[in-house]
Amino acid sequence: MHIPDGILPGPVTAAGYAATAVVTWYSVRKINQKENPRQDIPKASLLTAAFFVASWIHIPVPPTSVHLVLNGLLGAVLGYFAFPAILIGLFFQAVMFQHGGLTTLGVNAVIMGLPAIIAHYIFRIRRFGNQESRRKTGIFGFLSGAVAIGISVAMFVLILLTNIPADLDIGTERAALYTLAIAHLPLIAIEGVITLLLAVFLQRVRPRILDGV
Amino acid sequence: MKLGIVDEYSDLGSLLHRWEPRCKLIGLMVLIFAFSFVRDLRMLLAMVVVTITIYIISKLPVSFILRRLRYPSFFLLVVVLILPFVSGQTIVMSIGPLDLRQEGLIAVLLVVTRFLSILTIGLILFGTAPFLTTIKAMRALGLPAILADMVLLSLRYLHEIGSDLQKMQTSMSLRGYKKHRFSTRALNVAAWLGGSILVRSYERSEWVYKAMILRGYGYAPTTRGEFQTNSRDVITLGVFLLIAIGFITGDILYGRGVAALLQ
Repeated sequence: MHIPDGILPGPVTAAGYAATAVVTWYSVRKINQKENPRQDIPKASLLTAAFFVASWIHIPVPPTSVHLVLNGLLGAVLGYFAFPAILIGLFFQAVMFQHGGLTTLGVNAVIMGLPAIIAHYIFRIRRFGNQESRRKTGIFGFLSGAVAIGISVAMFVLILLTNIPADLDIGTERAALYTLAIAHLPLIAIEGVITLLLAVFLQRVRPRILDGV
Repeated sequence: MKLGIVDEYSDLGSLLHRWEPRCKLIGLMVLIFAFSFVRDLRMLLAMVVVTITIYIISKLPVSFILRRLRYPSFFLLVVVLILPFVSGQTIVMSIGPLDLRQEGLIAVLLVVTRFLSILTIGLILFGTAPFLTTIKAMRALGLPAILADMVLLSLRYLHEIGSDLQKMQTSMSLRGYKKHRFSTRALNVAAWLGGSILVRSYERSEWVYKAMILRGYGYAPTTRGEFQTNSRDVITLGVFLLIAIGFITGDILYGRGVAALLQ
């Protein structure tokens, strides 16, 4: 779900970089407001690498397989480190594997990173009310995973269809929109369930990870 | 998954290898963005010529780029296969029930040329200097310290965590796990696998932080003047900026590019 180089026009890629610069600046500002911001950097960095590696895990969905995105869980666990973490992950993918692109790095970071921040707030809701339970962690884990990937898919499809250098009639555009949205529905469900299972697993094994970085 | 190494030819002695990293970063990134602004077909030809010329100057072997072009983005391939049949009204040829359209073919030409040119310049940027040097150049140009530290630390542990995942997957296969069918068990196993990777990394990060503190992390004097710029670096930067401006100006002067052709 990364837009490669060459698809989007220059002004859109520039706008993507501008938006990414603003969100990164805000995230770094929030991180620097902590008592000892450097203390969390190794934790955030290794979890960034771990999320990057975890995205190589494939789920068999015959006749193909899908790989995990985990931007919802990443937001839930890393908080304000989530956006820089996603930016770094996308940068590695563009430079090492030529997935995504250098000009589209900003747009792709916004597509994946903003929903991660929303997921962070959704996952925090579980702390309100009674004591944290495994069920609440599971429910809000599912919601943060499914909502984050759902928003990412919606942004990806909208940015792509409104900016692709092609003369599509309204009927074709609408058909493409529905096809892409429907094709991604299983991914949204799988991502939600995996985030639920992962959140419950982490609560059972290392609940401290869910307290955030 | 094997990690792609982009700086394996960073020790060659071309003009681009000798170019001061900060100037190179600015010059090539501006050129990449100028390429993304191009919409005119005539400018595409100039873009191909400039890209090939820069690649020849870089002295990077052809195999370096071919290896990376062997698996171009699947997504781009889909766009290339679909666009000529759905975009535009001018039918060039009919293949059974499908109509090949002129506007779609032009759009594909534009997307593919921009993609290949930008990808090539990107590979030159990261292939003609050690990756660490390029990150230091980014830091010197104002990349926040938090981001620079995170990039370097993530990169340092990416290989180790990747190898952990590989070992765990091998162990699973040896114990008889087959991941060919979709089932709730497959989802559970994927979650446990991902969870184990996260827990291991979290624990490792605590030791890493202690080791870093012992080595003076956060208190080391910042090194200044690591990069030295000479007049040749500045002139080369000026040439690249002029080329980039030329592309944007040329695209404007030649009209509204593909948009005009489509009307």
